[in-house]
Amino acid sequence: MLLRTLWAAWLLAACAAQAADSRVSFSQDIAPIFQSSCWKCHGGAAQLSHLDLRSRETALKGGERGPALVPGNADQSRMYRLVSGREKPSMPLDGKLTPEQVQRIKTWIDEGAPWENVAPAGATGNALAASEDVPLPPGARQYWAFRLPVRPAVPNNGARNPIDAFLLEAMRAKGLKPGPPADPQTLLRRAYLDLTGLPPTPAEARQFLEDRSPDAWDKLIERLLASPHYGERWGRHWLDVARYADSNGFEHDFDRPNAWRYRDYVIRSYNQDKPYDVFLREQIAGDEIDRVTTDSLIATGFLRCYAKVGFREKDNPQYRYEYLDDMIATIGRGVLGLTIQCARCHNHKFDPISQKDYYSLQASLFGYVEVDEPLVPADEAAAYQKQMTEIEGRIRPLKQRIREIEEPYRQALLPAKYKKFPANVQEALATPEDKRTPGQVLLANQIIRTVSVSPAEIEAVMQPADRAEKKQLEEQIRGLERQRPKPIPMAMAVTDGDYRFAPDGPGDEPAPGKGVKHEAIQGSFLWHGPGRYQAPPSYFLYRGDPESRGSLMQPGFVKVITYGDPPTAIPPADGHTSGRRRALAEWLTSSENPLTARVEVNRIWYHHFGRGLVATLDNFGKMGDRPSHPELLDWLALEFMKRGWSIKEMQRLIMTSDAYRRSSQFADAEDAAKDPEDVYLWRFRIQRLDAETARDNILFVSGGLNQEMYGPPVFPPLQPEILASMNKGIWLREPDGPAVWRRSVYVYRKRGLPFPFFEVFDLPDQNLTCSRRNVSTVPTQALTLLNDDFVLQQAKLFADRLAEAAPGDPNKQVDLAYELALNRRPAEAERRAAASFLADHPLEGLTHVLLNLNEFLYMR
Amino acid sequence: MKYFRSRREFLFEAGGGLSGLALAQLLAQDGLLAAEGACAANPTGPTPFTPKAPHFPARAKAVISLFMSGGVSHVDTFDPKPALHKYAGQPLTGKGEIIVRQGNPGPLMPSPFTFQRHGENGIEVSEIFPHLAGKVDELAILRSVYGKSNDHVQAHYELATGVIRMGYPSVGSWVTYGLGSENQNLPAFVVIYDAHGGPFGGPANWSAGFMPAAYQGTVFRASDVPIVDLKPPASVTPAEQRARLDLLNKLNEMDARKYPGNSELAARISSYELAYRMQGCAPEAVDVNRESAATRKLYGLDSPITEPFGRQCLMARRLVERGVRFVQLYHGGLGDQNTDTWDAHTNVKENHSRHAAESDKPIAALLTDLKARGLLDTTLVVWQGEFGRMPISQRGVGRDHNPGAMSIWMAGARIQGGQVIGASDEFGYKAEQQPISIHDLHATILHLLGMDHTRLTYFFQGRQMRLTDVYGELIPQITNA
Repeated sequence: MLLRTLWAAWLLAACAAQAADSRVSFSQDIAPIFQSSCWKCHGGAAQLSHLDLRSRETALKGGERGPALVPGNADQSRMYRLVSGREKPSMPLDGKLTPEQVQRIKTWIDEGAPWENVAPAGATGNALAASEDVPLPPGARQYWAFRLPVRPAVPNNGARNPIDAFLLEAMRAKGLKPGPPADPQTLLRRAYLDLTGLPPTPAEARQFLEDRSPDAWDKLIERLLASPHYGERWGRHWLDVARYADSNGFEHDFDRPNAWRYRDYVIRSYNQDKPYDVFLREQIAGDEIDRVTTDSLIATGFLRCYAKVGFREKDNPQYRYEYLDDMIATIGRGVLGLTIQCARCHNHKFDPISQKDYYSLQASLFGYVEVDEPLVPADEAAAYQKQMTEIEGRIRPLKQRIREIEEPYRQALLPAKYKKFPANVQEALATPEDKRTPGQVLLANQIIRTVSVSPAEIEAVMQPADRAEKKQLEEQIRGLERQRPKPIPMAMAVTDGDYRFAPDGPGDEPAPGKGVKHEAIQGSFLWHGPGRYQAPPSYFLYRGDPESRGSLMQPGFVKVITYGDPPTAIPPADGHTSGRRRALAEWLTSSENPLTARVEVNRIWYHHFGRGLVATLDNFGKMGDRPSHPELLDWLALEFMKRGWSIKEMQRLIMTSDAYRRSSQFADAEDAAKDPEDVYLWRFRIQRLDAETARDNILFVSGGLNQEMYGPPVFPPLQPEILASMNKGIWLREPDGPAVWRRSVYVYRKRGLPFPFFEVFDLPDQNLTCSRRNVSTVPTQALTLLNDDFVLQQAKLFADRLAEAAPGDPNKQVDLAYELALNRRPAEAERRAAASFLADHPLEGLTHVLLNLNEFLYMR
Repeated sequence: MKYFRSRREFLFEAGGGLSGLALAQLLAQDGLLAAEGACAANPTGPTPFTPKAPHFPARAKAVISLFMSGGVSHVDTFDPKPALHKYAGQPLTGKGEIIVRQGNPGPLMPSPFTFQRHGENGIEVSEIFPHLAGKVDELAILRSVYGKSNDHVQAHYELATGVIRMGYPSVGSWVTYGLGSENQNLPAFVVIYDAHGGPFGGPANWSAGFMPAAYQGTVFRASDVPIVDLKPPASVTPAEQRARLDLLNKLNEMDARKYPGNSELAARISSYELAYRMQGCAPEAVDVNRESAATRKLYGLDSPITEPFGRQCLMARRLVERGVRFVQLYHGGLGDQNTDTWDAHTNVKENHSRHAAESDKPIAALLTDLKARGLLDTTLVVWQGEFGRMPISQRGVGRDHNPGAMSIWMAGARIQGGQVIGASDEFGYKAEQQPISIHDLHATILHLLGMDHTRLTYFFQGRQMRLTDVYGELIPQITNA
């Protein structure tokens, strides 16, 4: 009391003397700063980071980052450290205090942070919550990509294929002339590489080249679209979008033993020509759609393809937000061509996508949990589970008995282990528990909790009888382990649940520095009824900070491309999920969605022509490119939907155009000057084979390719130095040979160690969605093709194949080599060069050279 | 397409059919290619590494980044804390919840090492760095750097890319993207990791992220074939390889006539020439046997303890001397995390004594040698780990991870040496005066190379991405020299 009186007297005196000695008044100097810069987020309506600056008491209590004030010591006060930029994030987030304001706060804190009861002015309290809602800017929907496509009239200019009609129109407008068609040999190779990623065999080549019927080309396309290799090629394109990999990434890079089933699902879906809308619905809501199938459950693995940290997500919600962000980025860029993830911390800077749009989408996905779905009938799965439980039940007491046998030894050995620590530790341990200083408590606990005796150490000192008993118990355990049923196939899937009750998966470890945290909530991981499933709450997060919660979010979509009033949840009849992802999938694949079809036809177009009608495949927003042929794009998008979202239908249409069949060689100087980038497709663009196709072609030509489809990934051997650069996760040692000479889509995708051959040929980063790969030309590619054991070995196989087919006939061998590698006969000059080379060099030298040719590495 | 024409002219007309490649081969036969002159000659024509002008005059042309993987304890090396003696054995209080990676925070623990003052300004350096202590007048020591994560891998990625996740370009990628390289016959961005194995987080530490793969680091190893696939296996003799390359070149040139003006095909032809040159130049560039006995001794190549990292440092100097833009060395690799890296949970005295003994002399030698050759003024040397370590103990002898404060030093590039910048709190728990983020560090590195970190951008995901995201402030004591 006395103290307080003195304090007040001092304060009064201080106020009186303020002008003279710069004493700071809370009401006059500090409260206005709080009003303008602090209370918006740390006041009545919101207490971001759980910090409330409305009273001295709550400021002292502080928020997530600890107390805001240390009265009398500004340097140690978080408030001062943040506003002065000494600690990040600097505050206030939306601006900076003036140096005078910072100085005033410092002085105020140093003077003890006296506080008067100044209430925040009313309106500011709600300003923050109000700021969550931003109306669509007027005219936002007028932007070309946000308008619904309108069917344009096909230009009537004599072109047979509507695609050509549109292209011709644009070329004429630019004064360009379409080039001549490519020769049949080139076309044949182009179609094979494009649709299957493999060249034709000589027999397949003859089948086409000798077919004089007018529909020979159409028949060829049908054959290729029906080839099982088609899905291996085109599915791979989608796997880039899905950022598919077989391992988790990050520190442990854990194996994902069931990931490949999703990869197979993609290949299968392409081969079946699964309508693209169905394909998307299965991947986003395969557990919620009307007809849930094995395939649709596997499909949800799409959402789980994110790189994952090994920590338990229930006590690491921040990682879960990263995974959700990755899903939103993948769906945004990959499906909608929008950079929605830019709106995580603020409204999108360039496109009319609000932060609220982002958190509405997040709410649509927020119920997701990771589940391993048994891919066998329910009774089989139950039987499996029962057997496992029973065996574990029998093993448990045996293990318990082993621990009992070991325990006295453990206790006997521990003191000796403790002795290895320094004197202060000994002292702490020797001090009776209630007498230990606070520091000794910490030390002693560290030792007691973390020093352990290993079974091997115990075994070394065991009495023979105990050792014998333990051995016998272990033998029993091994016997029981052998009785475990064969693992049933599992899908790496998602469904709705409550992540806060997620069971620990293999490799999950507690968060750094944290033990198990039990939240004071009731619930279960998966919904078991009664009633209907409820998604856990998710919130608008200011600046994307999970600790700065705003309003409770309802599911929803990106407003600017939402037409009509689509439902935001379509719960299944039995109520086991929220139906939010189902609604999201329906919205994405609705004919009222202006982007999904445009983005997909543009991607199909890109893979055929090497350039999209919109060059930025995953960004149709303001920072992306404008379409070179907007009417054609709309026409294709509408045609795509009209034809039941059939990708193969679009490919038939595209590949029967003149544009697709144009020569890549034609070079008209005038056209080249007018359109050097060939935006208007006056000639066909040559395209370097991507990494997987390059490897597949080498294997195919050598005769080494193992054409087996589907199944667990393979591990071609890696040099020891390369393996040494990443010793986490798995890379099985399999001998080089036909077992690993599978198509590249089946090679293990390890996030922590990209397969070197692929990496050197521009494998995209495996952690982010990718619609368009870079193509670079660097000497390391040449070094790989010149010197890598794999390439040399395949060159040798290729040579053996020739020698066997045409023994002792070098001319025939050369002819056959050209036919196999390039699908043509050598020209006279080439024949001469080969002959002169073979005069004193081995055949495998020639085959090696062919595998290095530009012509071999390009689709043209 | 001017470049293409001139190359074609060169290949077809120089010496009537004698291709550039063949010419190079003749030189090689005479042993001339391996000579510095030939390896310094750059081909004409654009590559991803064609030298580019910086935004403003650069202070450094090259960077040697020394990464002490596992996390060096700042309080046992460059940031002495007498308070740890004073409060030894007491809990660290008043700092909120103490988060340690392995749980169970211990009491404050003084350094097992003594510190002595060195150099003109009497800067204190731990006894475990006797050689580096003699170089303290070259070093600008940052004592207030802080990171975002106490996880090894995430912290590695933050130092390497500015982001704790995978998928972003490393500093070396940004630098070579921004500046190209002065020597097209060697990779522009070279990584040499510890003989025990790669660092935490593996190749993502030198990935090009969303940039073209050309900008990723190329791993060199300490052998006479420094790059994987640099040389063919013994079954392909040099003469055989030469014949194959000649044939390849001939056939490719015939083919290229069908595609006049196609720079991509021309670049691929040229890339074989570069690859061939690299075969000769890369082994030469890292052949430490060409160094004098005195130099080899300086780097400690005469002792099994210092030899491995000494070799890495000497390779780095030779690479920088030949125009390589960015050399990333790692000391500490997996291996055994506890003993083969700086991750001193078990015993900081044993662990840091060992790793200091392995790296101290080589690093000091690198600074001496660069200076003697006049290279230090144009080379930036950065020494860092992924985080500092805790002032509190683990079981009385070890230290856990501490991203709240770490010490990093920079040298060369005409940086004012003999200075200490920033300070951690009295225990070394958190950065206190002039806290320096990793973005600040990266901004400063780019600045010394003549680049404005806000202007060095790569368009991705709908925006101009930066190494420093939307952050980064220059460290004035470094940039205002």
